[in-house]
Amino acid sequence: MAQYWLSNPWFDPGPDLGDLQRRMDQLFQRVSGSTAARGGVFPPVNLYETSDGYVLTAEVPGLKSDEIEVTVEHDRLTLAGERRVEHPQEASLHRAERRAGSFRRTLQLPGEVDADKVEASYRNGLLRVRIPKAAEHQPRRINVGAS
Amino acid sequence: MTTETTTHPALPRAGEKQVLEREATRPGLVFRPDVDIVEQKDAFLVSAELPGVDERNVEVRLENGLLSIDAAPGEAQDAAWTPLYAEYRTGGYHREFALSDAIDVTAIEARLTDGVLHLRLPKRHEARPRQIAVRTG
Repeated sequence: MAQYWLSNPWFDPGPDLGDLQRRMDQLFQRVSGSTAARGGVFPPVNLYETSDGYVLTAEVPGLKSDEIEVTVEHDRLTLAGERRVEHPQEASLHRAERRAGSFRRTLQLPGEVDADKVEASYRNGLLRVRIPKAAEHQPRRINVGAS
Repeated sequence: MTTETTTHPALPRAGEKQVLEREATRPGLVFRPDVDIVEQKDAFLVSAELPGVDERNVEVRLENGLLSIDAAPGEAQDAAWTPLYAEYRTGGYHREFALSDAIDVTAIEARLTDGVLHLRLPKRHEARPRQIAVRTG
């Protein structure tokens, strides 16, 4: 439930984590052209750190895998695409809550990454991007030699 | 059967999924999915956004004139991952609609594609619009 309390303002994570959250809020910036769901940012993303890199997940229901553009340049990751909501002609709309429009978000990653080894997968409206850290930032096991 | 209240103290921020506050039989958050409802000549089309949900975990039920959509949460994130930043929360989905008598409940179709559930609710024959020929004389 960690991602739950991170976004819950009633939970006081203490000064260290609160500061991290603020810094991340500043790092994740909205870039022009994005269309928001109910005034918020689209797509909403979560970011995790793993032993050898980062994992970014984004909720993009209704998009097909080839309609999502993921680019990584240095330590900046950009998600772009267009969300289309199509309805048949000769139909009347009773309820329209789903949002459509083009989006582009650029996110600053917290550390150096290996842009050549980024992998993205898509399933059930959920995008998952695996971003390995740059080789010099990977944890390495140092052999202890006996003398 | 266990009963657990899934109330959440925080109000949803702009762009966040709406949390349903209700008595649930499963622990965890339940969201109200965004839906579109379209009426065609011969059917109603309902589309609901259920990102992260697997088709095995969606249940569409029709009971006493009430159409309900229930989805269990998608697969959990790897416990070894450290969350750094979160803009959305994960959980199940629930939504229900009262259906009119005009729907042929035996012919409802459901399909889940790219995180969107599409339902087709055909109208009963008597309820479809008919053109009445006007004769002269």
